Amino acid sequence: MNLNLKSDKAHTFDAIVVGSGMTGGMAAKELTEKGLQVLMIERGREVKHIEDYDTATKGPWEFEHRGRVSIHSAEEYWANNRFGTLANEETGPFFTDDKQNPYIEKRPFDWIRAYHTGGKSMHWGRQSYRMNRQDFEANAKEGIAIDWPIRYEDLEPWYTHVEKFVGISGQAEGWEVLPDGHYLPAMPMSAPERYFRETMMKKLKRPVTIGRVANLTRPQPWHTDLGRASCQYRSKCARGCPYGGYYSSLSGSIPAARKTNRLTVLHDTIASEVIYDEKTHRAKGVRVINQHTMAVEEFFAKIIFLNAGSMNTAALLLNSKSNRFPTGLGNDSDQVGRNIMDHHLGVGANATVEGFENDYIFGQRPNALYIPRFRNWGTDKKDFLRGYGYQGGASKSDWKRGITMNGFGASFKEDMSRPGTWTMGFGGFGEILPDPSNRMFLDKDKKDKWGIPLIVFDAAFGENELAMRKDMMASAVEMLEVAGFKNVTGFNRSDTHPGLGIHDMGTARMGKDPKNSVLNKFNQVHACKNVFVTDGAAMVSSACVNPSITYMAMTARAADYAVAELKRQNL
Amino acid sequence: MNRRTAITQVAAMLGGAFSAPTLLAMKRWEDYEQSPSFGTDFTLTENQKLIVAEVAEMIIPKTATPGAKDVGVPAFIVMMLQDCYKTPEHKSFLEGLGNLEKKQFLNLNTEQKTTVLKQVENDSVEEMKAYQVQQTKMGDNEDREQMAAQAKGLPFWRLIKELTMLGYFTSEQGIKSSFEYVPIPGKLEMIQMKPNQKSFAY
Repeated sequence: MNLNLKSDKAHTFDAIVVGSGMTGGMAAKELTEKGLQVLMIERGREVKHIEDYDTATKGPWEFEHRGRVSIHSAEEYWANNRFGTLANEETGPFFTDDKQNPYIEKRPFDWIRAYHTGGKSMHWGRQSYRMNRQDFEANAKEGIAIDWPIRYEDLEPWYTHVEKFVGISGQAEGWEVLPDGHYLPAMPMSAPERYFRETMMKKLKRPVTIGRVANLTRPQPWHTDLGRASCQYRSKCARGCPYGGYYSSLSGSIPAARKTNRLTVLHDTIASEVIYDEKTHRAKGVRVINQHTMAVEEFFAKIIFLNAGSMNTAALLLNSKSNRFPTGLGNDSDQVGRNIMDHHLGVGANATVEGFENDYIFGQRPNALYIPRFRNWGTDKKDFLRGYGYQGGASKSDWKRGITMNGFGASFKEDMSRPGTWTMGFGGFGEILPDPSNRMFLDKDKKDKWGIPLIVFDAAFGENELAMRKDMMASAVEMLEVAGFKNVTGFNRSDTHPGLGIHDMGTARMGKDPKNSVLNKFNQVHACKNVFVTDGAAMVSSACVNPSITYMAMTARAADYAVAELKRQNL
Repeated sequence: MNRRTAITQVAAMLGGAFSAPTLLAMKRWEDYEQSPSFGTDFTLTENQKLIVAEVAEMIIPKTATPGAKDVGVPAFIVMMLQDCYKTPEHKSFLEGLGNLEKKQFLNLNTEQKTTVLKQVENDSVEEMKAYQVQQTKMGDNEDREQMAAQAKGLPFWRLIKELTMLGYFTSEQGIKSSFEYVPIPGKLEMIQMKPNQKSFAY
């Protein structure tokens, strides 16, 4: 062991947060604002807000391959590339080179990662929906897996807390299926979308609303205090926003944490294990490896928050072995790494819209419509459990329509400079049931270049998901047809696997009973109370709504509890 | 490729003057140069390059605004085929060019060229049917075109038309002369079309 022995004091903090993404950022903000000295450990390179958004203001012509992914990049980013154009020159620098960071697929798993400051919060989809009351009760009611140890009411004040800080544009609707939060003014719908919403409400009694999105339509003082400004409607969020128009750890939580002068951030530093102290029955710190120099160091703290991203958080627990925890920290129940969930997608329908020829849009809306769950809701009953939501909407076609239509020459060229007809489409996000056989574990022999075991994924969609997908396509077709749109075509991609929703979760679930869960109702590891897991790993069921805002609410709640327990000297 | 080779040579000369990431990137370019899967063996004869330029210009001719040749589309097409497409597409592209070479394409008059390209276009409509092309939505900001896997590469016409349009309508001159270019809209408004309304480009 090549320990870099600095004084323990310089290596000791009140709290360590592993990860700087959506939940790591929020944990650091909450803990520093409550007076703690926090060390944040980020495995990847440093990305400075605004300064390092190298592609943010480039014109389309400034990208060599004009938004396409080269064969070379596709091989480097072999997993990222399964999603679409993530590995292109616009956003590629903010995704993880899969060739350098391999993983093993016993069954296919589409693992999308971002190893740098801010993690995936840099290019998340920004859709922010609260889980509803029934989401927390469904497992218990249906006898699926285990019950959530918390209910909607436990998270409600924390949803409010993070929504206000994050800044979410949306429309309060008063629907039980999609609880209202605190919203900045909603973004407008286009004419065909307004027509669609009215028609669905009237003919199918299905709710349609504008997406609830983490872009500032009217910045509040606490946003501008952090240097954030209104959305400019460029819709190039994933490149990083020079205006701080959308929320990320880079634009929001990390600047807020830095303001306290109590945040220390280490970059290029991979947490390899949590160090357990057999005498105190507590974790005493984290062992880390510098990704460039390979230097190993240890850092110590009273409390440790694991926010490395669901799969990496579970891997870190599994790799933290001790006499007390021979199979990994907190793994008494053998649930660490199990119950991988995500949201399945790549299924829905598209159509062409006649009419509305004179309607057009100025500006690019970084947002879409949202159709909340209607399946197995109220009196609706299907032969599968749970449900799904849709995201999508209408757009007026541009020059790209010309690729698939006949024509060339002067008049074709002229035609391509004008907007075409409207099209409308929706893609579903479906709930995935927890299943202990959907899991990841550490390979016994193969290691990465830092000597950390590679993750092996062994998960797949189950019968419930596959049955749901058929209905997702059929319902999308039905809605577009009922709206009277033309050329309605359903799609149901067969080349998607768990992970592709980039909502991977569930690998260290909360629960009431240490025998079948990893964390308690405050996200503490049952048998090691000063270790908190507040990223997606903690999820007991997936619901069908985009999960980040729930993770953040859970994080803020756990941080509040952790600090209270510290004060009570329980940790 | 020249630029990359040059960079690597400069790196060799300067030795330690480069940061680790830069050297890593250069190492990747070296791999790139050597790895057979990148299809860098895709090259065109001078005559074939002339045909590519001519077809691109016929798809998007110079009018009151620049044409495909003006904005460098021909070279863009070749670069894209080299960098972003694999052997099946290289084969079908060369097949399509061979077909035009047989027809003495460059020696035809404009009317004859148009007739030939219309025929090529119509043939490719049939060829494309096998691909069952579908637009699919992956969340609200990501649309993907899905196609059924085919042993044969995409047809020549689809390739040259798509790359001509991509090259032209994403070039600075192409964007600014064809569209109302609004890189920073600053607001989002539902509006009514003006007479002769051009598309907004962002």
